[in-house]
Formats: sequence, C-alpha cells, structure tokens
Amino acid sequence: MPIVLEKLSHIYQQGASTTTALKDIDLTIGDEDLLALIGHTGSGKSTLAQHLNGLIKPTSGRVLLDGRDINAPGEDSRKLRFRVGLVFQYPEHQLFEETVYKDIAFGPKNMGLSEVEIDQRVRGAMDTVGLPFEEIKDRSPFEVSGGQMRRIALAGVLAMRPQVLVLDEPTAGLDPRARDLLLSDIQRLHQEGTTVVMISHAMDDVARLATRIAVLEKGALAMVGTPGEVFSRYEELTAMGLDVPQGCQLTRLLREMGGPAMADCYLLESLADSLTQQIKGGDGGAA
Amino acid sequence: MLRDITLGQYYPVDSPVHRLDPRTKIILTVLFIIAVFMADQLFLYLFILGYLVMAVYVSRLPARMIIRSIRPMRILLVFTFVLNLFFGAGTTALFTIGPVTIWKEGLMNAVHFTLRLVFLVMGSSILTLTTSPVTLTDGLETLASPLKKIKFPAHEMAMMMTIALRFIPTLVEEADKIMKAQTARGADFETGNLMARARAMVPLLVPLFVSAFRRAGDLAMAMEARCYHGGEGRTRLHVLKIKRGDIIAFLTMAALFVLLLLPRWL
Repeated sequence: MPIVLEKLSHIYQQGASTTTALKDIDLTIGDEDLLALIGHTGSGKSTLAQHLNGLIKPTSGRVLLDGRDINAPGEDSRKLRFRVGLVFQYPEHQLFEETVYKDIAFGPKNMGLSEVEIDQRVRGAMDTVGLPFEEIKDRSPFEVSGGQMRRIALAGVLAMRPQVLVLDEPTAGLDPRARDLLLSDIQRLHQEGTTVVMISHAMDDVARLATRIAVLEKGALAMVGTPGEVFSRYEELTAMGLDVPQGCQLTRLLREMGGPAMADCYLLESLADSLTQQIKGGDGGAA
Repeated sequence: MLRDITLGQYYPVDSPVHRLDPRTKIILTVLFIIAVFMADQLFLYLFILGYLVMAVYVSRLPARMIIRSIRPMRILLVFTFVLNLFFGAGTTALFTIGPVTIWKEGLMNAVHFTLRLVFLVMGSSILTLTTSPVTLTDGLETLASPLKKIKFPAHEMAMMMTIALRFIPTLVEEADKIMKAQTARGADFETGNLMARARAMVPLLVPLFVSAFRRAGDLAMAMEARCYHGGEGRTRLHVLKIKRGDIIAFLTMAALFVLLLLPRWL
C-alpha cells in the first residue's frame, strides 16, 4: 500500500500574509520503507506528516494511498485515519482517560469494534510497546513515568492497527534508556510489516533504522535516497544546518588526517569493521 | 481549525495616537462616550463624527477597520432601531400602517440610540486598535493604583490580565494540536447531537487543562526564580509619562465638549 505524493504544495494563510510550507513535493513511500524525514526546524516536516492522513489538506497536488486520492470527495477521512496512524510530537500530552486501558482503547472504540476485539487490541498494543498489561492497565496515565506515558500514547495509535505509522519526533525529550526502548519498538513494528515514516533530528538513530531518507529544506524536497546515498552528501547536509551521523564525521576526520582511504561509513559499527579489516591485512578495500 | 481566532485587535503602526499614554487614551475614551451621550440634537452628531474622523485619520488606521468593528453589533443595532421605532410612544404621529403607528418621538429615539451605539463602538475600538493589550493593562493598572488604598489588588489584577492575554495564543495552538491528535485517533468533533458533541470535548479539554496547569506551575516557578514578589517596590521598564501629545489630545477633547455644550448656553 504505497503512499504517493504528487506535486504536493501547502500554503498557510494568515490574514494577508502567506507562508509556503511545502512546495511541489514528489515522493513515493513504499510498503517496505522505514522512511526518515529529516530537515531543519520549520522545513515543513510536520506539515508533510499531517498530510499523510488527511489532517491537513494540500493547497495543490495530491496524496494517493493505494492509488486513491485521500482528499477526493466521498473518501471516508475517518477510515483513512485508522489506516494511517499519526503519532504527534509529545504524544503523552493527548492522554485524557482515567485509566491506561481506557486511553489506549479510545482509538479502537472510535472504530466501532466489539469489546472483545478492543480488549485484544489493547493487550496487543501494550505488548508491542513493552507495557506490562496487568500491572498498569487500571492506573491513571498521569501517574506513570514520562517514558511510559510516551509508550501508552504510542500504544493508543498502534491499537488501531494502522498499516502506515507516522511518527513526529518520537524520541524527543526521552532519556537514553526510554529512547532505545522506543526505537527498538519502532524497528520491530517495521520488521513485522508496518510502513513507518519517522521525523527525527537524531541522525545516528536515522542512520541505524531508516531504509530511506527524505531531506526537506524550506518546504522543498532536497534529497531522497538510502542512508548511504544521503549521508555521502556530507557538505550539502551541513550547509543546510543538519547533523550527520558520528560514523560520517569520523570517516571524514580520518581521511583529513591522512588515514587509509575507504568508503563513507555512516554507522560506527561498519566503520569499526572496515578499520579492523585495514589493520589486519590491508586488503579490506584499501586502494 | 482554531487558527482563525484572532484575539485583541491591535493594529501595529506608528502614529501620534499609538504613541499616546494608555491612560490618556482610556480617559479620552470614557470622555468620548460621555460626549456621545451629551449630544441631544441630531446636528451635534456631526461634531462627534468629525472628532472620530479626525482621530482615525491621525491614528493612521484604515477606515474599513473602524467600520468593520460594528459588524458584530449589527443585529443589536437593528434591534435597537426597530424596537425604538415601533414601540416608542409619543405625541406626534408620523403615519400609521394598520395597527402600527410610527411616532415622531419613536423615530427620534431610534435614530439617537442607534447612532450612539455606533459611535460608542467605533470610539472604543480606536482604543483597542491603537493600544497593545499589554500597554492597555499597564494603563489600567496605573489608573487603578489609587484604589490600592482601599486594598484593591491593582497590580495583581493587571498581572493576571497580562498573563492571560499572553497565554491565549499558546492555548489556542495547544488546543489545535490536541484536537488534531485526537482526530488522528478517530475522535469526531463535528457530528452528533448536543450531548454527543459535549462528550466529544472531553478528550480535548482534559489534556488542555492538564497542560494549562503544568504551564501555570512552570511559569510560577520561573517568576519566583526571578524573585517576583508582587507589585511592592517593583519598578517599570516603560515608565508612563504624560507628554505634549497627551496634552494636545486632551485639548481636542475639551474643544469637542465646548462645541457640544455651546447650543445649551446660547
């Protein structure tokens, strides 16, 4: 179920002044993708994310899901939202129910599912994000830890079993442990077949998880490609004010210091591997 | 969704009226309202209109903004006119249609009250259009400070107003975000009967209150960290001072009063 963006533009109108948030975005998100959306603050990432489930309507251009325009008259926008789950930035700020269980059940309930089905989905979603069901289902979502609140909010979206999951900076403000847990949840979901679109500023996370990367700059799509392709354009990324993964930085540094010539490694692990190769025999790609 | 709500209608340009002391503008607005009610003959409204036109011209406000300010009042205006016209009894009948008699006094009242309302709204909108909300509360605080003698918390009131005004856009943005997040979970804010809609507000209002309280707590802490301890002995960054412009403004108002009172003396 690929998502295709065709010449997507969005213009915010505020009084007499207009701001172009997105212009002429052409992008295909395939079923197998874990697409990372990166870009400077204000580059239009969140606006783009909200187009994917029809929360924002494009000023011009189309969003196609399975070949069908999601904003066409007659399309059921609520059904669409159950298929494309959107997790906002700081999603724990939308928790509202008395118990964790009820909060996670909010989405499935809106879908009109049976009690049994809802129960299954809540258990399943809590299991996916590693929340102990019996232990916290009856607790207030406001009295658990910040990392757990984040995972409850994520479970609230996952319980709708969306085929596409869109996450807006899912790890912002989490401590390293909670971040690693959340990222491995996301990775597992992707491996189990969910298409994932993730906005992130943490380039090392992006390098580790993403299968494809789209770079936005000032509302336009600056690059799309595999992590290897995108991160090899080091200078352009830095010129946009973006970070690059530690692996890239280290490779560059080694090269500048007159180290052995080798390909760009955006992952620290693969850099370590190729360095070991170099040291061992010099036959590991040295030219 | 909620983005179109604009609060406070401050129109930021630089003009002699914008530069006036907020206290001057508040007092002048009150005086202007009194002047509007002093006009008891139709031709006197010409002076009031003249004063208004002059004020708008000097303040560099687009005339359409002033005219637009009476739009929310249009139903009230029509009501005022119609009620006074049909239900005001008098001695001189103008004409009779069926059971309804239009009296001369009724017509006069209708015209008077409608004109007064229009001028009242237009006059006070000059105040809000040329004074930013923060300056306005500053002015109110200073004007109300003599009341501190009778334990009226003028500073605290003004601080509360300033904070409230400051957080309205933030909360609107927050509400918009939460609304979108719940919509993404299939919440429906738009359809259903009154009860269903009221229930649909719970997922919006609970998070909004939670975040408002959190923000209030953070703000209180930040204020205390900067040693805020109320109005006692607090100095100001912008000290309000009566300047030449303020005196000129008061003189023009005095002239308007003289013009309005002249016919009574003659």
